[in-house]
Amino acid sequence: MLRDDIQKLDMVLLCCLLALACLGLTVLYAAVYQGNHAIFQKQMLYWAVGLVLFFVMSLVPLRVFALSAWPFYLLSLLCLALVPVIGDVHMGARRWLNLGIVSFQPSEMIKWALMLVLAHWFASREPDSLKNFLVAVVLAGVPAALIVIQPDLGTTLVLLFAAVVVLMASGFAWRWLLGALALSPMVGYFLWQHMHGYQKQRVLTFIDPQSDPLGAGYHVIQSMIAIGSGGILGKGFLEGTQVRLHFLPEQHTDFIFSVLAEEAGLLGVLVLLVLYGLLISRMLSIAAHAHTRFGSLLATGISAIFTLYMFVNIGMVSGVLPVVGVPLPFVSYGGSALLTMLLALGIVMRISIESQGQVPWQRANHPMVL
Amino acid sequence: MLNQLNIRKRFDGRMNLLHLCLWALVLILLSRMVYLQWMQHDGFMLQAEKNRLNIVPVLPTRGTIRDRFGVGLAVNHISYQLSMIPERVNNGDIHQALQQLQPFMHWTPKQLMRMEHRVTHARHDRPVLLEDKLRWQQVAPLAARLHHFPGVDVKSGTHRYYPYKALTSHLIGYLALARAEDIRRGFLRSEHVGRSGLERIFEQRLHGRLGSQQEEVDAFNRRVAVLKKSPPTMGEDVRLSLNIRVQEAAAKAMHGRTGAVVVMDVHTGEILTLLSTPGIDTNQFTLGLEQEEWQSWLHDPQRPLLNRTVHAAYPPGSTWKMVSAFAGLRNKAPLAHGHTQCPGYVELADRKLRCWKRTGHGRVNLHDALQHSCDVYFYKLGDQLGMPALRSEALLWGFGAKTGILLPRESRGHLAAPLQRLHNGRKRTWVRGETMITAIGQGQTTVTPLQMARFAAAIANGGDVLRPHLEAGTKPEVIRHVAVAPENLKQVQQAMYDVANKAGGTAYYRLRHAAWKIAGKTGTAQVIGMSQDDDKKKDKKLVRNSHKDHAWFMGYAPYDHPKVAFAILVEHGGHGGSAAGPVALAIVNELSKEEHEVADAP
Repeated sequence: MLRDDIQKLDMVLLCCLLALACLGLTVLYAAVYQGNHAIFQKQMLYWAVGLVLFFVMSLVPLRVFALSAWPFYLLSLLCLALVPVIGDVHMGARRWLNLGIVSFQPSEMIKWALMLVLAHWFASREPDSLKNFLVAVVLAGVPAALIVIQPDLGTTLVLLFAAVVVLMASGFAWRWLLGALALSPMVGYFLWQHMHGYQKQRVLTFIDPQSDPLGAGYHVIQSMIAIGSGGILGKGFLEGTQVRLHFLPEQHTDFIFSVLAEEAGLLGVLVLLVLYGLLISRMLSIAAHAHTRFGSLLATGISAIFTLYMFVNIGMVSGVLPVVGVPLPFVSYGGSALLTMLLALGIVMRISIESQGQVPWQRANHPMVL
Repeated sequence: MLNQLNIRKRFDGRMNLLHLCLWALVLILLSRMVYLQWMQHDGFMLQAEKNRLNIVPVLPTRGTIRDRFGVGLAVNHISYQLSMIPERVNNGDIHQALQQLQPFMHWTPKQLMRMEHRVTHARHDRPVLLEDKLRWQQVAPLAARLHHFPGVDVKSGTHRYYPYKALTSHLIGYLALARAEDIRRGFLRSEHVGRSGLERIFEQRLHGRLGSQQEEVDAFNRRVAVLKKSPPTMGEDVRLSLNIRVQEAAAKAMHGRTGAVVVMDVHTGEILTLLSTPGIDTNQFTLGLEQEEWQSWLHDPQRPLLNRTVHAAYPPGSTWKMVSAFAGLRNKAPLAHGHTQCPGYVELADRKLRCWKRTGHGRVNLHDALQHSCDVYFYKLGDQLGMPALRSEALLWGFGAKTGILLPRESRGHLAAPLQRLHNGRKRTWVRGETMITAIGQGQTTVTPLQMARFAAAIANGGDVLRPHLEAGTKPEVIRHVAVAPENLKQVQQAMYDVANKAGGTAYYRLRHAAWKIAGKTGTAQVIGMSQDDDKKKDKKLVRNSHKDHAWFMGYAPYDHPKVAFAILVEHGGHGGSAAGPVALAIVNELSKEEHEVADAP
């Protein structure tokens, strides 16, 4: 059975992932080779652990995930609720939860938990019903509110957009979806009224980085200089002056895309974007051909998160979106983000494995159950 | 109610839409990248270069100024700077770091406090200057233990030094940090620019050209590498015609009195000495001038900032009698070839114009009148000549005009002129007596010591009025040749010789034993009009120092084959022969000594 599963691994997905791993590690090396080599070594370790988890995930039956959807969601929500009480402040925002041995961001967990629980809820339920709609709103709204006061606007937006995508895939009519979108400004206004002054200030700085020109505004300008000066072919590996001379802020985490753009130029950027496109498009295909509705919705939600991460991150470093701390998938340094993404991708791989040789859910006239 | 099939249909539609959205987003990002990396590439490339490159100027070493034998008059001394990079100090404790330096530098508590304030308020990643222009002896003990003081550095640089201090202060001038107008002319704020004297005149040549260094800097403006270097061009050295030993000898002979000494080569116009006393120690300007000191210079009644050789004009006194003599000879005035009786005064209407010798000189001709400096003779000669002849003769010999020496703001002196308008516009009546006192160098006429030295040179060289030169090897330049009949010239020269070498000459007593035979003329110029009728003149001791006469001595040497001409002025020195004569003696003896040294050298 294990051998069967391994033979059913989706090679396109795997190849895209491995190509991204190579590219991501190379770019990270370029970003940190001058200073902290430990960062690069740690990331190698994270990749090794992450790939093992990826394969483990792709062997775990999908049923297990469906069963653990609610417990996982509630646990994540609990952690998230604890953050304002006992969380650690890091770079002006209270996002981290320190559990003695590990310190992690509950907002990182809740995204995937929400996708899981939404997929589970709609796997066997009808769209276009007020009850189901309201359940979805509460499921997404509570964590979103908890995250926005941290404040972490980037994650909040990713969370909400991904939730809308899942609702879309589950078959809600457009009027419901537009209604959901219209609801969010109202919720936003309500939250704003109940925020403290310092929280409002943080949110404002996130929305308009130019209000802090020496901080985030400076970062975007330097990042655009790095990208633009890279040109079509780039300045060459380890030759980027903006990188080498530390003009780039956070060059191994959120702004790592500019390192690639400066040193590898438009050509390198094209390769990265095509790899992302292929990977996510493959994930969407897996969603389209999944043999259960749960698998379809889960894969769609996960693809949505990947898409949003990619778009928001590259958009912000190239100056079209405000600077909200969102990592570049598989390239930015950071253990918890990488591990959760690989876990999520492992689940998608599992969906693909289980669907092979099966008929997609509606065509066999399956009941709308697992 | 939706049935399963409808849900599936909707799902398929939505998946297609999501696929489309995905590629649309990828395309949006890609087009943004094409815009930034392709279309805007040049602009961003420029900004990236601007980010990383820093062009740092490298100051040139200023050229030196030397005398004719190569002795340095304005040179560059190596000095040391003590600086500190605050962020590299142990634990960042600047107070303690400065306290540790204290045993070496011996700062006062006030200095220490000021320094600490400056360091704590400066950029922490850049060196902050603690003290400048330190001598090696001051920094050596610290330099040897520098490794105990992280963040502290001792660097060497140069500063301008004037070894002869007050002796050359007026001629050489001084430097100061560039001001707004210099910066407009392209100097940097940190550069020193010649502010006066030759430092200012030769600024272009002495200064040299800035070099530059292209450095790569990181985001914190720290230097990472030096990319390109174009070294500065050192300033040119300037060699003066000045003979510093003669200047020293002259200064010594001035005995601290206020005045001016000019020595000039009679053939080339080269200036050998240009001394104005008192002077100032111009090193104070580079070593940090205290405001009090500057104020004391400004308000010193002796006016040490004034260059008396070219900026001040004095009544010439009896040295002017040569001008009158030439005028008489040229215009064939009856008295020039005749003689007159000097009873000690001339009567003019109801006044008496006195000779300095109250008992009179008896029968005098031109020669005797010059040798004994008889006033009566020249009163009468002037009366016969009239103002126009006297004035045009003075103009011929270069008085009343700038000599054209390179120094800035030269005075042209003043020539008395019969037609004058007063401040209120009314004409002033010129009286006969004024012409007569003009002929003996009193009245309104004023001349600079430099003009006087040039006059002496022209007498010596046969009538060539030269342009004074300060730089060695400059081509001699004759501004005008004054045509004087040889026998007339000889007559005046002979009289000047007898002033110093014949018993009865006004400088005979002081100059008869000079190493070279001197021909010259004394002058004693009244500072304020004191009635010569007044018998109080006997109480000369009671006359306040500031009202004492100016003493002049001008002339040339050696008499037979003239080499140098000189003019000496001692302010309020009293009698020309006794006050200014010894300075001429010192000059001539020094020159003669040098000549022997050269001859004796193997």
